[in-house]
Amino acid sequence: MALTITCPICGKRNGYEFRYGGEEKGPRPDEKDLTPESWCDYVHMNQCVAGVQQEWWFHRDGCGSWFTIFRDTTTNLEKETPEAKE
Amino acid sequence: MMNRFNHLPTLKIDVSDKIPFTYKGKTYYGTKGDTIATALYANGVRIYARSLKYHRPRGLYSMDGECSNTMMEVNGIPNVRTETTALKPGMVVKEQNVKGSAENDLMGFIDKMDWAMPAGFYYDTMHKPAKIWPVAMKQIRKAAGIGKLAPDHHMPGKYDEIFPSCDVCVIGGGPAGMKAALAAAQKGLRVSIMEARPWLGGHFEYRSSEYISRQTHHERAVQLAKEVEKTENIRVFTHTANVGVYNNNLITGFQVGKESDSFTERYIEIRANSVVVATGCIERPLLFENNERPGVMQAGCALRLANTYGILPGKIAVFSIGHDLGLETAVALHDLGLSIPVIADIREDGQDPAMLKAVLDRKITILKGWVATEAHGGKQVKKVTIKSVDGTISKTFDCDVLVASAGFTPLTGPLVVNQAKLTYDNHTNFFLPTDLPKKMYAAGRLLGFENAKSIEASGHLAGLKAAYDCENCSIADLGEAKKAMENLPGPARGTKLVTAPVKGRKTFICFDEDTSIKNIKQSIDKGFDVPELIKRFSGAGLGPGQGGIPGHNLPLFAAKYQALPDIKIKPTTVRAPLVPTLIATYAGTNHTMFKRTPMDEMQRKDGGIFRNIGVWQRARYFSKDFTCKKEIENVRTNVGMLDGSTLGKFRIHGPDALNALQRVYVSDLSKIKEGRVKYTAMCNDDGCVIDDGVVIKRGENDYYFSTSTGRAGQTIEWIRYHTRYDNWNFAVINLTDAMGVINLSGPNARKVLEKVVDIDVSNEGFGFSEYKEFKISDTIPVRAMRLGFVGELSYELHVPSSYMKSVWLMLKEAGREFKIQNFGVEAQNVLRMEKCHIILGQESEQRTNLLDIGLGFLWSRKKTGCKTVGVAALAQAEKDNTRLKLVGFKMENNGRAPKDGSLIVDDRVRGYVCTARNSFSLNEAVGMALVEGDMSKIGTRLAFYEDECKGELIYGTVVQTPFYDPDGKRMKM
Repeated sequence: MALTITCPICGKRNGYEFRYGGEEKGPRPDEKDLTPESWCDYVHMNQCVAGVQQEWWFHRDGCGSWFTIFRDTTTNLEKETPEAKE
Repeated sequence: MMNRFNHLPTLKIDVSDKIPFTYKGKTYYGTKGDTIATALYANGVRIYARSLKYHRPRGLYSMDGECSNTMMEVNGIPNVRTETTALKPGMVVKEQNVKGSAENDLMGFIDKMDWAMPAGFYYDTMHKPAKIWPVAMKQIRKAAGIGKLAPDHHMPGKYDEIFPSCDVCVIGGGPAGMKAALAAAQKGLRVSIMEARPWLGGHFEYRSSEYISRQTHHERAVQLAKEVEKTENIRVFTHTANVGVYNNNLITGFQVGKESDSFTERYIEIRANSVVVATGCIERPLLFENNERPGVMQAGCALRLANTYGILPGKIAVFSIGHDLGLETAVALHDLGLSIPVIADIREDGQDPAMLKAVLDRKITILKGWVATEAHGGKQVKKVTIKSVDGTISKTFDCDVLVASAGFTPLTGPLVVNQAKLTYDNHTNFFLPTDLPKKMYAAGRLLGFENAKSIEASGHLAGLKAAYDCENCSIADLGEAKKAMENLPGPARGTKLVTAPVKGRKTFICFDEDTSIKNIKQSIDKGFDVPELIKRFSGAGLGPGQGGIPGHNLPLFAAKYQALPDIKIKPTTVRAPLVPTLIATYAGTNHTMFKRTPMDEMQRKDGGIFRNIGVWQRARYFSKDFTCKKEIENVRTNVGMLDGSTLGKFRIHGPDALNALQRVYVSDLSKIKEGRVKYTAMCNDDGCVIDDGVVIKRGENDYYFSTSTGRAGQTIEWIRYHTRYDNWNFAVINLTDAMGVINLSGPNARKVLEKVVDIDVSNEGFGFSEYKEFKISDTIPVRAMRLGFVGELSYELHVPSSYMKSVWLMLKEAGREFKIQNFGVEAQNVLRMEKCHIILGQESEQRTNLLDIGLGFLWSRKKTGCKTVGVAALAQAEKDNTRLKLVGFKMENNGRAPKDGSLIVDDRVRGYVCTARNSFSLNEAVGMALVEGDMSKIGTRLAFYEDECKGELIYGTVVQTPFYDPDGKRMKM
């Protein structure tokens, strides 16, 4: 896997060690005023950005922590900041 | 066997060491250092194979494996590139795609049928009427195609994989690559070199010509290689073909092991900070009639045969070349005794004056502006016609070898697979990479340099650029290296000639697919006008050589034929793997890795029949009777022991432990009491049930819980994922491997247990659904729970793994008077099915929610503010009456049980069987099934459609559950 991911605890590691956890969508919505539609949107709808997105990764073969990184989905490269172009 | 040179300094063979092998059933001898192809050549073999389509004879051509000419079956493995595969003692070599032999192929007549097979004839013919195709296809497949692999072929050898990392990775260990590696290494960086051949040196290695006065190219290669090898921060991978380059500078390849290596082949994945590609060039094939007749070979091939392998390619050789390496080869081979009647040089002028002088000194005739137009001879070259490039004057020469080469083709594959673009360069006649990927540099011959000093200087510069990317090189150093380049000759002018003046009926642009110039013209005339389309329509470049032979010739010819004003069309795209790679190499070592429980060995001794279940190996049966009648009856009437150590076991503790549990479990765990066992379940965000188990409160903020075997690996990830925004303070520890589980079940279980433990195990002292912690013999800590998964009086003892055997033996000893027996996973499966206790994954699949399988009672609706995973979806699913429901059924008329997974049908599929068995406890066949809601009423008749039942349905009826002991008295007794 060409992707490398920087774990906040273990540092930059091979992408093989991690499991993808989806786009960053914010905390779980409050149960009050939750409609089936808004719940479904939260769980299943994604932005599918062609570009830099913030996303969750789990260091499965490492420290076992969940964290977010920024990744350019067009190049499959990790970025330091959401604005990072190149 | 011919005499071989044994005195040349460039040789890589040891003629004193003979290696036996068999070819077509006869024993031959090669020498140590031979490839299979050179050993065959030395034994007089000239025809190595027959071509895919026309069954034309094919011989040794390039020595670099870019065509299928020398592919053979070796030790049962088809399509082995014998020209790049080292000879080993005892190898069994066979020819492929022949009827008869390669020399006398009964299918050879097809070559004359080419008129019937224009480009794309597969697409145009044999489909009207449609009935013809299946018949034709069979015949075509019989006649065409290459090696065949036996279906039961077992790949011998050891396959390994390594994942090294380095600062700079250099692809190609020739002069440029070695200079690049040295430059980067001298800056203190860790460097890896990947070299496809078994030794460093590239094209310097096999050249005996002068590099500087009193030093040959070969000597220079040796000198550089020594320097590389003694540099400690350079790691050299020889005999390692590069197969892929990916962004983020990930380089993949495979290394062929030497005899002393522990692997046959190994996959190498290098992660580098920066990369230098110095892969050099292959030769661009010259296009003329019968340009692939055995005896026709490229200059480098002829030179390496002599200099590296000590074989003079023939007696009389005509040369038709377009570069100075061709002249150099002629001079070198002439000095070794080859008779050269004529050299036809495509170039009118521009030859290296020193080379030209060397040719003339040897009184070899050189005709400038001439080219070979036809090779004569049925199976081997006997005569060659050469013509002036304009085609007006011709001469014919007898010969047994024709050295033919139009120019060079840079090996840009590693750059192209990593998204570099190719642009035509008029000076070199190369398609050169532009827009190189980040931290990636090209160097050496592939940029068009032919001057030795320029090649080395470009390598040095690329090495420094790579070092600069690693922040280990100054701008000043870079500037110096650039300046040094400016004083050296730039890229050499490339020859432009693509085809000799021929019509091209038997002029092959692609050997693998038998694609002639005529076929290319036909493709273009039909509108397939760019190389990517020509390739798909005519087949050129589709073969195992992956475009190595058509390479740059295809776009150059297509541009020429269409009289394009400038060459904007490009070579076809190359893709990884750049070199065909064995699947065994990708598979690596054979990972049969399973976890074993602490009871593994003892259960095997007790006759356990083991099966792979998830990541574990578990005892599924304890006799050959796979219905497990005895095991089941023993648990129902006596007492049995089961090893349940694979169960997931966790501790969660800390101030927010309860919050975390409340998040993932559907029950309200705030009400859980110490000393009690709480059965509950986890759902995913869709309300689908993913896990069930028990939770025990051991103290304030300290819980012990179990998960199903299959979920143990993901549980911590799951809990942390769903609490990732909360900043909660808790720790969760996986105790699955630290603790073993013994399930002691049956009416006599209490009598056995009370002999082993000191606590009161009476129904009053240790009631159903209670939890106890105690020590056996004041030493072994036990966590015990009274559960009823199998429907009998049952104790589940959680014991530290290291004490498992001790406790197991104590129970066995205590149970001896009752004739205690093992029971396996299958017996447990039947026992619990009779009780309609579910196993997730068996009574559920990915879409099954908590309500579907009747576990809705676990869901605490009053629990609010916990944002419990799955609850939102459950609330919604509750109103949905179209979902499948879990029901129990029994078979009609004392019929047998349907197979698990059978469909439940009426005029369409209405559900499926989860588990069904012939129950010994009940004397009838029962089971559980997921069916559509309207079929879940008691009394509904179910029709089962089994796999391969040929339409013969069997029938059952929905009944009350559970089947066995409906009041649950037995497990509470």
